[in-house]
Amino acid sequence: MTWQNIKLILTRELKDQLRDRRTLFTVVVLPMLLYPFLGLSLIQITQFFREHRVAIWIVGAENLPQEPDLFVDEKFSTRWLSAEQHALVDLKFSEASDQEFSEVIETFRKGKNLPLTRELVDQWIQRQMAERNVDLAVVIPNLICDSETDDTDLNSANVFVLMNSASDKSKIATERWQSVVNQWQVALFERQLQRHQMTKSQALPVRFDTADIAQKSEQRAAAWSKILPLMIMVWCLTGAFYPAVDLCAGEKERGTFETLLSSPASRTEIALGKLLTVIVFSIATALLNLLSMGITTTLVMGKLGQLSGGLGLAALGPPPVLSLFWLVLAMVPVAALFGAVSLAAAAFARSSKEGQYYLVPLIMVSMPLMVLPMLPATQLDIGTSLIPVTNVMLLLRTLIEGNVEAVLRYSTLVGLVTVVCVAAAVRWVVYQFNSESVLFRASERFGVGAWLSYVLQHRGDLPTVGHALLCGLLILLTKFFVGFGVGIPADWYEFGRQTFVILLATVAVPAVLMAIVLTRRPLLSLRLTWCRPSYLAAAVFLAVCLHPAFSVLSRVILVLYPPSEGLQAMNGLMESLLTATPPLWLLLLTLAFIPAFLEELAFRGFILSGAQGVKNQWLAVVIASLFFGAAHAVFQQSVLTFFVGMVLGFLAVRTGSLWPCIVYHAVHNSLTVLGANLAETGWITQFSWLMQFEASGGIQYHTVPAWFMTGMGIALLMWIWKQTMEDSHQQLDWSKWQRVWNQLRGARRDLA
Amino acid sequence: MIHVRNLTKIYDGFQEGDFVALGGVSFDAMPGQVFGLLGPNGAGKTTAMRILSTVLKPTAGTAIVNGYEVTEAPSDVRRQIGFVSVNTTIYDRMTSWEMVELFGRLNGMQDDELQLRMEMLFARFKMNNIRGLLGSKMSTGMRQKVSIVRALIHDPPVLIFDEATSGLDILVAREVFRTVEELRDEGKCVIYSSHIMSEISRLCDLVAVMNRGRIIAAGSLGELADEHEVHDAEELFYELIANHEREYATLVTG
Repeated sequence: MTWQNIKLILTRELKDQLRDRRTLFTVVVLPMLLYPFLGLSLIQITQFFREHRVAIWIVGAENLPQEPDLFVDEKFSTRWLSAEQHALVDLKFSEASDQEFSEVIETFRKGKNLPLTRELVDQWIQRQMAERNVDLAVVIPNLICDSETDDTDLNSANVFVLMNSASDKSKIATERWQSVVNQWQVALFERQLQRHQMTKSQALPVRFDTADIAQKSEQRAAAWSKILPLMIMVWCLTGAFYPAVDLCAGEKERGTFETLLSSPASRTEIALGKLLTVIVFSIATALLNLLSMGITTTLVMGKLGQLSGGLGLAALGPPPVLSLFWLVLAMVPVAALFGAVSLAAAAFARSSKEGQYYLVPLIMVSMPLMVLPMLPATQLDIGTSLIPVTNVMLLLRTLIEGNVEAVLRYSTLVGLVTVVCVAAAVRWVVYQFNSESVLFRASERFGVGAWLSYVLQHRGDLPTVGHALLCGLLILLTKFFVGFGVGIPADWYEFGRQTFVILLATVAVPAVLMAIVLTRRPLLSLRLTWCRPSYLAAAVFLAVCLHPAFSVLSRVILVLYPPSEGLQAMNGLMESLLTATPPLWLLLLTLAFIPAFLEELAFRGFILSGAQGVKNQWLAVVIASLFFGAAHAVFQQSVLTFFVGMVLGFLAVRTGSLWPCIVYHAVHNSLTVLGANLAETGWITQFSWLMQFEASGGIQYHTVPAWFMTGMGIALLMWIWKQTMEDSHQQLDWSKWQRVWNQLRGARRDLA
Repeated sequence: MIHVRNLTKIYDGFQEGDFVALGGVSFDAMPGQVFGLLGPNGAGKTTAMRILSTVLKPTAGTAIVNGYEVTEAPSDVRRQIGFVSVNTTIYDRMTSWEMVELFGRLNGMQDDELQLRMEMLFARFKMNNIRGLLGSKMSTGMRQKVSIVRALIHDPPVLIFDEATSGLDILVAREVFRTVEELRDEGKCVIYSSHIMSEISRLCDLVAVMNRGRIIAAGSLGELADEHEVHDAEELFYELIANHEREYATLVTG
């Protein structure tokens, strides 16, 4: 691989894209037009909010105190509303003493003892508002009359403001009414104080003053820190995707791809040259959008500030310069990640049209990662630092907020995770470009019948990678839907039945059926082959020895990703079920042995057998473990089971049999169940040298024995590795002898 | 120069099942010789050419191009060849000059050498008037000329022409023929595929007739004509293919 060739391809692709009108429009012209247009629209909308006239219907204005006066000459008093604002409010009056209103007002006033029901009154008011073409109705009962003497009535009187939250005009009318009435109420309060010869401090001995200590720039930074990272991500993704489709699918369509492939540039050089082009366009799109938005917001927000509209955006102002610097810096890894993923997806497409279809799934997958950092409670910590895309956005947000300490603490981890993800994505691109079946995918008409007959005719001894992925997705999907259909169990026995049926129907049955239908050797596909008894014994000891390590890992996961309150409540419910009446053997059967058998059939059986088609057996173990983890509904449990799945995968791959996995799984689960359930029994306290029981019901191993047992576990893993290597050598020797024997037989037959 | 042994290519597809595009093809082509691959559409000519230019990998068999094996040293093979095909078109948004320059540089040519070679080829193919013309503005003939110049820029010892005259008018097609003849006279090894018999009979010293992924006859056209006692080239081609189709039908239906 030479940099010279990558540079040549990069230069060519850049030149080519810059000569494409569609790309130029999307990358340069659109952002330059979009934000000024949006800004103008915003100004127009603000004008609408400001200038829209609203009508308010006042019933019983005569019941209000005369001093201070809220209304003068059927208008708001100029004390509360400027002459300019008067023009925006129409007031319509009706007297409360009118026969048609008296009963309604009585209904409001009396509360429960109604002559009419409140629903009927609401309907009547709504009809009246529509007939009179008003946006807000204010009903003032006659108890508020200027009650110089009757303070009790004044205190207990309510004015009923009836608005329609489904109407924007009604909301505006309510805001305007409220701003006037607030001022009037303060004046009324002061008047009452005067009348009773009280001072303000006597009436309100304690006052709460809230002061915002954030500086203007910090307020702006905080507001922009929530908006800008998301926008940058979306721009980077869209900016990467369209050029990626043109550079791969577009070239295939135009017939120039083969020209390039026949040049001395290697596939890897071509892939990297195109990837760099996509990254440049991704960054350029984001930068131009940022620039255009920066200019627009500076101008438009200034204008909005002058208009002093009701929109909070006006107070936002342009984003701070330092924030922009951090944004530009963060664009590089984000663009690299999105660029690589887009290019790999685009390489698969046969045409530009097909390529466009891949954008929506890509956005659907990326969106949760982009939205998660927007949630107010999400903070940069070790847990979130491990989530790709989200971690960069959170680091960016923390940088903009100016929390340098948190940034310094987590930037290495975020950088590491991002580099690993980018490297994996780039590797995927290179793989796609080196894969003939991807680059020269033939256009085939899809028919279910033809496909099924092809699948049945071409089934091999073992499942393929596609079968494994299909099985994994099928399990996840069925578990997801079945999970909605199942209610919270009432007692232990119902819980036991539910667990068994769900595992059987959603995990084991799909795997076993797929093994029977899609492969020629279902037992081998499910790894149901016998193994040396010593491996079974080793699996028992391994599960015991590694249990302390997984116990610690479980705690670390709970620290990194603390469970939500809802989850804790659910756990409490489950624990109360488990510590209820069932006998221990039934508990172990339901929670340890049945799941061990049924889950292993699917994950280390069918899925791992299929995933081993990727040639790299450790990658296969990772794939099976990812499905195993994802099949557990609770995130924290998923992370733990992923790592348990890695050990189980190791056992399956090395021993070639499912039985050690089932034994390990059953023992692992049994230890957890015993720890949770038998904390209070006498005999288990004999193990106090090894572990202690916690109030929460779990067990905690002492440090020294835990390290010792983990060491033993590692030694056992190494022993299994060594033994299985020897087994495979013996098999190899045996097969060699078999070949020699066959040759001898053949030679004898030839002689005969 | 080119030695192909048991070259096999099987495409896997669920609609039609496994498709054998090449079923164990062997041939040799030497410098100063035009080796013709003749066959109807779908005979496997393009697949063979694509494997020789390392765009595709063979399922089995070997192909050695000027001393380099296609699966073991694909980059070296690509430096030995110039590949012109109906599937290797030119970039719409690049000028002819830029396009040729890019492939010269990808072949590791230095500035002075590249400049001289480009001037020479543009003059030889009378393309100086379209130096600055974008690919999208060119006629089919112009585009094919640029493709040929692009393939010749690094002066490769092996040239592969896969249906290079497809869609060209007779004037441009004749220019292509003349170019192939000149290249042969310069001592290049040329592989030329077509389904048009007159082209093959005009250009090729040796031919291999292909059908259904196999070579069904090979040798000089004169030898083949004598062997089958048919002296009209098109008639010979028709008879060879028809005979093979009959044999195939007998084999399939039993």
